[in-house]
Amino acid sequence: MKPTIAIREPVVDDLMDQTEKILTEEQIEKVINEVIDQETGVRLQTYVNTCIHCGLCSEACHWFLSNDRDVSFAPVTKVKDTIWVMLEKKGKVDAAFIKRCSQIAHTECNVCRRCGMYCPFGIDIAYMMLVVRRICAKLEMVPLYLQDTVNSHAATMNQMWVKPDEWIDTLQWQEEEAQGYVPSARLPLEKEGAEIMYSVIGPEPKFLAQLLGNITVIMKVAGLDWTMPATAGWDNSNMAMYSGDFEVMARVERLHHETAQRLKVKKIVMGECGHAFRGGEYDGPTWLGWMSPPIPIVHAVAFYYDLIKSGRIKIAKKVEGPVTVQYPCNIIRNAGLGSKLQYIMNAVCEDFVDLIPNDRHAYCCNAGGDTINCGPPWKKIRVQSAKIQSENFKRTGAHTIVTPCHNCHSGVEDIVDGYKLGMHVKFFSELLIEAMEIPEHLKPKEE
Amino acid sequence: MFNIENWDWESKEKMLAEPAKWKDQFEDVWEPYISPDGEKIASIVKIGEGEFNIAINEGTWEEPFEKIWYSRFSPDGRLTAFITKDMEWTMAVDGKTWEQMYEYIWDTKFSADGKIIAATTKVDSVYSITINEKTWECPTKLQSIASHVISPDGKTSVAIAQTVPLAEGDVNAFTKGAWSVIVNGKPWNDNYADIYGLAISDDGKNVVAEYRNSICEYGILVNEKPWNEKFGCTWEPVFHPKNSDEITAPVRQAGQWFLATNGRIVWDKGFINLMHQTYSPDGNNIAAAVAPSFAKWTIAVNGQPWSKTFNECILKPYFSPDGRKVAAIAKDSGKWLLVVDGTVLGEGYDNIWPPVFGPNGDMVICKVEKNGKYAIAVNGKIRGNDYEALWNPVVSPDGTKVMICGVEDGKYYRKVVLLSDI
Ligand code: SF4
Ligand code: SF4
Ligand code: SF4
Repeated sequence: MKPTIAIREPVVDDLMDQTEKILTEEQIEKVINEVIDQETGVRLQTYVNTCIHCGLCSEACHWFLSNDRDVSFAPVTKVKDTIWVMLEKKGKVDAAFIKRCSQIAHTECNVCRRCGMYCPFGIDIAYMMLVVRRICAKLEMVPLYLQDTVNSHAATMNQMWVKPDEWIDTLQWQEEEAQGYVPSARLPLEKEGAEIMYSVIGPEPKFLAQLLGNITVIMKVAGLDWTMPATAGWDNSNMAMYSGDFEVMARVERLHHETAQRLKVKKIVMGECGHAFRGGEYDGPTWLGWMSPPIPIVHAVAFYYDLIKSGRIKIAKKVEGPVTVQYPCNIIRNAGLGSKLQYIMNAVCEDFVDLIPNDRHAYCCNAGGDTINCGPPWKKIRVQSAKIQSENFKRTGAHTIVTPCHNCHSGVEDIVDGYKLGMHVKFFSELLIEAMEIPEHLKPKEE
Repeated sequence: MFNIENWDWESKEKMLAEPAKWKDQFEDVWEPYISPDGEKIASIVKIGEGEFNIAINEGTWEEPFEKIWYSRFSPDGRLTAFITKDMEWTMAVDGKTWEQMYEYIWDTKFSADGKIIAATTKVDSVYSITINEKTWECPTKLQSIASHVISPDGKTSVAIAQTVPLAEGDVNAFTKGAWSVIVNGKPWNDNYADIYGLAISDDGKNVVAEYRNSICEYGILVNEKPWNEKFGCTWEPVFHPKNSDEITAPVRQAGQWFLATNGRIVWDKGFINLMHQTYSPDGNNIAAAVAPSFAKWTIAVNGQPWSKTFNECILKPYFSPDGRKVAAIAKDSGKWLLVVDGTVLGEGYDNIWPPVFGPNGDMVICKVEKNGKYAIAVNGKIRGNDYEALWNPVVSPDGTKVMICGVEDGKYYRKVVLLSDI
């Protein structure tokens, strides 16, 4: 089988370039066969044998559509140029091939699973890309920035090298910030037996600390019994799941769940992040042997839906003007929260302008599945390949795009920048804080 | 439990405080903690803008502080907490602060008798462990401390620490190793990519930890020396309670989890997962939480899983004092259950706290939660009344009585009940 002609601008990625130089063909063959024999089964074989190479899946992929229908970006090509060759050659491939595999699987596919919906057989190409990533990870062929994030997970159990004292200190600082709005607000640390453990992703304490202040206000107004851990286990994100380092993934997920068990909470509510939900709800538990997380996990979108629908949070003043939304694949296509997201958008926005296509059919922002974590070397092609979604955003005429997912948030910011859309990008909680009613008795007393 | 023989096992009931009244007295009242002997109950309370104190039984600490958090009683009943003064932090013990102030201080640990109080501290961006006000003299500037442990006698303290600064994105330096184990202030010779699961033997002689070299290369280090065997993954090692040269850890090989002792696989059967291995008090038996197949969890004792399995999870096993029985808390179809030797006792609850065995093992006592109230359950059945707050029951050293501490109608009671009457 001839590899597809793929024209790409050269990209310098120090780790991939370095690994290419030292990988031996024996190592490669051993790892490929080990992963295929020991870590995959009928699923992979069925997908490979069922595909009739019809190419219908191409129409689903934003990479293909954004790059003038260049076939080298088509989902089936991603499979054809990676796992098919490995299987056909029984692992006898060279380091340059493995590097191209990592480029395809890590940097040119978001494992967003849109293509699977368009395949007449429901073939899950994203799954095959994850198998390719696993092989690459075991060969240490991983984009530099992504590997650095995985290293942070491995060493600190959070994504951003946040040290234990920095974490606690940030929470205490944000508690004070929240008290500026609602003097009696509290961010309860290590409260055993609380109803809810709230967990977030590494970038919140690092760059977006105000989100921790926002949730402190929201929890107080909603009158909920909640806590956050003062130990590792607070970070629900998991880039190791995407790099292919499943052992680190499992350790991170186990700690997150066991922290909730230690705190004896009834559920984990997680902030606005798509992949973290996937890791906590599905990939982590599956690897660890749990059918589903033993302490149930509720994504922020479902949480806010419950608060608004039940009247625990009332909306005082809706956000004016047209607002649209990015539907995060991992909670919408893969977990069915689409109508809840539409409900909360309508609840806080005067004029919610939906995307076309929307809900399960919405396109990926092109940041997810780790691609944004592959860092600056891979940014240009990522933004270029989000053209289709930039056009969809533009069509809405919105002044703000809401992104209930951290990766979407950063990815959509890059789209807004790259295509000069002149729109704001916000998390849902930022809109909610503006729109919600703060009851009189919770407001600061006038001096 | 320290000094348990000298606790008051005679008074049947003492009403020691009225925490409900604190709510009228103070702007805000945090969740309460009690001393191990049940004689004291304390809550952090807010007395004004940037002013906190601790309410304890009928009084408070003498001096308020700008901020207080992490109030914890030592085994000898002293109340510790972290406090700030002029934006600097320190430890306060029964209201009296340590002399030295720190940029930050967290993660209190106690020796078994409570005489030794240790915490992680940071001064001028250098991390250390401070034990009874004395900070380690460590030749290496520690960049971060992930966790620390002290031996029961308090004489040995160890930490997982970052010993080498890492620039952002420097994956090569990371792979070479930037983390190590620090024993009483002295770093081990080698650095590792990652260190996890640190433990000290009860006699304080040996230190064990997991290390990770690369994606699928994990192992166990005992006093710096690695086991010869390497594994695809490992979980936390534990020491034999009587023989500190015997160490057991879950290890992963060819996609399955096994139990290994001193590097050698000792249970012939592999599992989908295996965690929380626990020795019986005499060290003759080992129990662990295992999944013999996907989403079927149970306890294996000496490698033999119970036939009854649970579809959500199972927590750490507990041996009876004579080592003959094993109890664990399992979750099945949304309910938490008490399981003893593979049999579910009583009904399901919204929460169950760690089980406590009576002296001859035929009675298992737990704190349980149902519909937002707490109660004591014996062999899975609720006995006595509901509480607004409740702590884990403690059995007297002679095995005839149990101490139950809880809040009812806003009042804090310490009760001593005959096991035969419970
Ligand atoms: S999973 Fe998403 S990004 Fe990957 S090929 Fe399919 S549609 Fe494209
Ligand atoms: S649509 Fe399905 S069958 Fe057709 S090429 Fe794509 S994966 Fe293969
Ligand atoms: S980043 Fe957002 S849109 Fe993209 S894959 Fe994740 S959830 Fe999907």
